[in-house]
Amino acid sequence: MNSFILQTFNGISYAALLFLLASGFTLTFGLMRIVNMAHGAYYLFGGYVGLTVAKLTGNFGLALLAGGVAAMLLGYVCDRTVIRRVGDDHLAQVLITVGIAYIVGDVSLKIWGGDAQKLPLPLFLRGVIELPGGIVYPLFRIFLTAIGIAVGVLLWLIYRRTQIGAAIRAGVDDREMVSATGIHVDRLFVIISALASFLAGVSGVLGGAFLTVFPGAEWEILVFALVVVIVGGLGSLEGAMIGALIVGLLDAYGRWLAPELSYFVLFGPMAVLLLFRPRGLFGSANMT
Amino acid sequence: MADLALSIQQVSKVFGGIRAVDAVSLEVTQGERRVMIGPNGAGKTTLFHCVSGAHQATAGAIRLFGEDITQLAEHERTLKGMGRTFQISSVFVDLTAMENVQLAVLGVRPTKWSPWRSVEHQPGISERALEKLELVGLAGKANVSVKQMSYGERRQLELALALVNEPKLLLLDEPCAGLSPAERQRLFKLIQNLPRSLTMLMIEHDMDVALGLADRITVLHRGQVILEGSVDEVRVNPQVREVYFGQV
Amino acid sequence: MTQRRKILIVVLLAAALTWPFIGGQYGTSLMTQIFIFGMLALSADLLLGHAGLFSLCHAAFFSVAAYTTAILQVRYQVPTALAAPAGILMGTSLGLLFGLSVRTRGVYFILVTLAMGYVIWGIGYRWASFTGGDSGVTNVPAPSIGGFTLSTMLEYYYFVLAVLLLVMFVYHRLIRSPFGLALRGIKSGEARMRSLGFSPPRHLYTAFIVSSFMASLAGVLYAYFNKFVNPVSASLHVSFEAVLMALVGGTATILGPFIGAGIILGLRNWVSSFFELHLAVMGLVFIIVVTWAPDGVIGLLKRFIDRRKAGADHG
Repeated sequence: MNSFILQTFNGISYAALLFLLASGFTLTFGLMRIVNMAHGAYYLFGGYVGLTVAKLTGNFGLALLAGGVAAMLLGYVCDRTVIRRVGDDHLAQVLITVGIAYIVGDVSLKIWGGDAQKLPLPLFLRGVIELPGGIVYPLFRIFLTAIGIAVGVLLWLIYRRTQIGAAIRAGVDDREMVSATGIHVDRLFVIISALASFLAGVSGVLGGAFLTVFPGAEWEILVFALVVVIVGGLGSLEGAMIGALIVGLLDAYGRWLAPELSYFVLFGPMAVLLLFRPRGLFGSANMT
Repeated sequence: MADLALSIQQVSKVFGGIRAVDAVSLEVTQGERRVMIGPNGAGKTTLFHCVSGAHQATAGAIRLFGEDITQLAEHERTLKGMGRTFQISSVFVDLTAMENVQLAVLGVRPTKWSPWRSVEHQPGISERALEKLELVGLAGKANVSVKQMSYGERRQLELALALVNEPKLLLLDEPCAGLSPAERQRLFKLIQNLPRSLTMLMIEHDMDVALGLADRITVLHRGQVILEGSVDEVRVNPQVREVYFGQV
Repeated sequence: MTQRRKILIVVLLAAALTWPFIGGQYGTSLMTQIFIFGMLALSADLLLGHAGLFSLCHAAFFSVAAYTTAILQVRYQVPTALAAPAGILMGTSLGLLFGLSVRTRGVYFILVTLAMGYVIWGIGYRWASFTGGDSGVTNVPAPSIGGFTLSTMLEYYYFVLAVLLLVMFVYHRLIRSPFGLALRGIKSGEARMRSLGFSPPRHLYTAFIVSSFMASLAGVLYAYFNKFVNPVSASLHVSFEAVLMALVGGTATILGPFIGAGIILGLRNWVSSFFELHLAVMGLVFIIVVTWAPDGVIGLLKRFIDRRKAGADHG
């Protein structure tokens, strides 16, 4: 029973990480119809920058910020120079952003080397906490979960309770309509893009602290994030939350019960979904 | 009592909270030419979608030559002898005119699965396709990509696609929309000269075309049938004048 | 077939037949690789260029077929006559399963196939007890049927070439057939196809299976060529590259994927000899091709020829 609770917590904390990455991806697609495969690369780059900052300054908060900002800047540059040019063509978007991811991945390899590196944690985040029932759990994972929930709540409030959120939701439903209402669509796009890549960078730093940063991490985490949005539905914030939870938990249980086939648990929910509801739990029918 | 080609009984289509089609009943006898008119948003195209199967009706029943087709998928209804054109040109832009019609010919035949012999060498396919292209006056453009064809030519192609398999019921959705007066005349003559054995249900905005082709007219407004009658009856009806002509 | 086409085919065939004597050992090996990966790219292009479906899981079929054949030959001493078809069967069976993905379209299809492909990679990597994990399956013996063994690079080259010509011939018939036209119709207007009497999901599922068959065939050829199979063969990278090859050469053509394979593999070989960042270079190629030459080499050639024709007509 203890193992089960332990794995559940593992699943939830991983879900928090996945949500941070997937939420940006799903909103970017929902609003701008852009599929950004470089999202994993933003994660990686943010993680590496955060790693360097953490090693130099010993300040974790600074590392988080640096990682987020670095990813945000990278995202902005990529967006303005290259991604904007291809418009709605999803094939082109995928290929171009994969190209960007390759470049970022390779350059990162050159700069930071090929070893898996763990982000040094500040003292107050190291160690374990004792939970009722005698379960001992890493403090950092709880911290991660807390951040995930906090960001989730914040995003949800903005999405559902503010005017900007209403504009975003309207935009997800009908882009042309939004520009007709006079809201500055371009500015909205820039904000969402920036937010998405910032979150990607931050999640890179957080991931780097307990999963390590390593070449290839950008694809591993991206695929998980993609399954999250497939299950949850592209363009849906709630979908990203529920999807992340499902994927996180299944991954944890899978690793615990059948480690050699654990990747297979990713396929399960996808297959079920494909059979009964191809657009995901909360996806809208007209998303292509 | 002549056989009914199409029987629409209490068909409704609801989107979210909107009743696009509201308990519409309609009967078209074999060989009849029925025209549906009504202002924009009246639900005419949505009704068409329900009949052709592009949409599933929320309620009601549809019978084609006595057979209940309400639960059939779109492609199955085509196989039962239904042909349709679309209001917005929906021909295959990346293909040639000939390829477009070839697809239409193949659509109702098991040959569409044939993986070996090229389309040109399949017996009967290209001949039928060329025949229909000639009928609509596009034989000269058979190998031209649709991308390079004018809107009028695409509408002609649209008609060829619907006719090539000799459907028993033809649904025409504003076939003359967006055409120049000369093109309109041409298409009008083409439709007028179609065999009388072909039952037609047509949506049309152009009153000249509608009145010229129709045996009977059904008037739709806000998803409901407000009047059905002969051309003369409809022409003088005050409600129709208000709802429809008043829009001009 | 036009005169020009016939000449082209003869020239290419002559070049392919004489290549080993021009390119030597290294060139023969490289060209065999180009044939194999070109075939993989062609399998992906059946879906991409004709049906309009951008699949990112083809490495999975390729890899599963390769692993199956390799494991059967190495671990269970199964002869080639059984191991090779078994590999193709396994890969194609996976295609039957992954074909579920045609219930989605557009972006979802891309994401679903990407994830599916990754899952196979993950299984290849994690299920170390069966697949050998990172080290993979090594020492795949030379293929041998009857008493005849293809033991040299040269013999294998001609074998692969023969298979390739057969595949290209069948593929050519397929895309010019009603089935092929139906795929292009679906790509051009799926809704319209339904109203014409087609059931697009059925056609797409069938195309997907054919495509997985081709990819599996390439995988089996790869196992014997490389003499070892590891999870890299199932990686996202291989799937991305297959699509890139089709694009670089020209989609919806038969030669395009092979031209693309030649360019990509040639480029990689050339670049990695003096430059470490070859993935970054590949990334750059992605960006350049998509931005400036989306029709690939064949598209560029066509445009060039058309322009000259137009010039000649006016001159």
